[in-house]
Amino acid sequence: MNTAPLTTWEGAEAYFTFADKPALLVLFTLVGIGVCVWTIASMARHESKAYKDM
Amino acid sequence: MEQSVPELMARLDSLEASLSMATTINSEVFYWWCTALMLAIHAGFLAYEMGASRAKNALASGMKNLIAFAFLVPTFYYVGWWIYLAFPTGFTISDGSEAGLPWSEYMGPNLTDNASGIFYAAFTLFAATTASIMSGSVIERIRISGFTILAIFLGSVVWILGASWGWHPDGWLTTEWGLHDVGAAGAVHTVAGFFTLGVLINLGPRIGRFNADGSVNNIDGHNMPMSLIGLMLIVMGFFGFLGGCIIYTGDTWMTIYNTPATLSAFAFNTLMGVAGGMIGAYLVTRDPFWMMSGALIGVISSAPALDLYYPGLAFLVSFGGGCVMPKLNDILVEKFKIDDAVGAVAVHGFGGVWGLVMAGIFASGYPNVAGPEISFVGQLSSAVVFMILGFAPGYVLSLVLKVVGLLRVSENAELAGLDKAEVPASAYPESSVPAAFTNDPTSPTPAE
Repeated sequence: MNTAPLTTWEGAEAYFTFADKPALLVLFTLVGIGVCVWTIASMARHESKAYKDM
Repeated sequence: MEQSVPELMARLDSLEASLSMATTINSEVFYWWCTALMLAIHAGFLAYEMGASRAKNALASGMKNLIAFAFLVPTFYYVGWWIYLAFPTGFTISDGSEAGLPWSEYMGPNLTDNASGIFYAAFTLFAATTASIMSGSVIERIRISGFTILAIFLGSVVWILGASWGWHPDGWLTTEWGLHDVGAAGAVHTVAGFFTLGVLINLGPRIGRFNADGSVNNIDGHNMPMSLIGLMLIVMGFFGFLGGCIIYTGDTWMTIYNTPATLSAFAFNTLMGVAGGMIGAYLVTRDPFWMMSGALIGVISSAPALDLYYPGLAFLVSFGGGCVMPKLNDILVEKFKIDDAVGAVAVHGFGGVWGLVMAGIFASGYPNVAGPEISFVGQLSSAVVFMILGFAPGYVLSLVLKVVGLLRVSENAELAGLDKAEVPASAYPESSVPAAFTNDPTSPTPAE
């Protein structure tokens, strides 16, 4: 997989992975937000189960 | 050997380019280390919250603090930086704010942008500090999930909106009312303190904090020395925090409002503020925890005009704050039955208001670059905005969490201790913690 947005360092600006593919950056953002939401939901489930088991 | 004019010009251009690059690198290095130093604030909050908790809740308090930090880093990346750039004029989106969107070419490694990453990092640590202010107040009875949601909202949305309004060169509180708050006493401390107050009202006190007749029981933490070291770490970290509040331009320093300043001014007044707050809080409480909280009160009291105060005045302003805030905490606890486990509402919320108002009295008349001069009315009005901006979302969001059952732990878990209930580890597995402070449900704590 070629993740580089450039083929030469001459004149390079934004050079991070997939910098030339904004749709993918949006996708990564949405997945990242999803990870956060999912983890908080998992945290809440863990707590509820822990309180119930006491 | 003589050189031709074109050769000299070329050398001059080369030297100028080198100087410009050195300035850029110096700026990056300065904020890099400010950010690193700010991490001491979080080490400090971690230590003082765990120390302020009973042994049965020590790890849960620590985990809560740490997990909030972990969530604030990405969420501030996703929305926080954009909010800061988008809303200096109020609720309308400003041109250029798209540079702060997470898919912007500036929100990642970019050879033409040496600023965005380093400022995102510094502001992220400010955000985490803001959320940590709430963290200590709610220990021993809040659900970590509910707290995380509140922390994200406070750290990545609410305070940074306040910062955009009042801690930004084009913020409307400055351009319209002349607000001067170089050390972010309003945007960070007042907003966080009043957000916390809103949460505490819905969260309620710890079991055993108040008797049926309304009298108050002290609930001592299990490790006061750890709390004191933590508070001292926070004071140390504030040098990074306040360093991050001044703009490095290469040949001079500026405040965030583009007024000229020196780092020496910050050094004078930060130290004098710390000392004044400590002495004031010691004088009225004799309590080591409050004495060290007084150091924070002292910094916050002088923060709005760190660039302007005569150091002897900063000492007195902070001394006054150190005397007043512990008494305000007593009123909150005894009269309003607000169980603020570490006094954060008084230290940060009212401390921030004190600082803003004092700047309106003692720094009145100084000119701003954009907007009217500093005035008492402008400072007081801005303080009210920060109070409302913090309190309203804190109250509403915590009420929603309460309604859906995500705010408070179960009574059984609270009595047994949150470590036993939900943490798969033990804080002191082989030590001899006095029975009254263990997580043995058959050994009630003194307050129970």
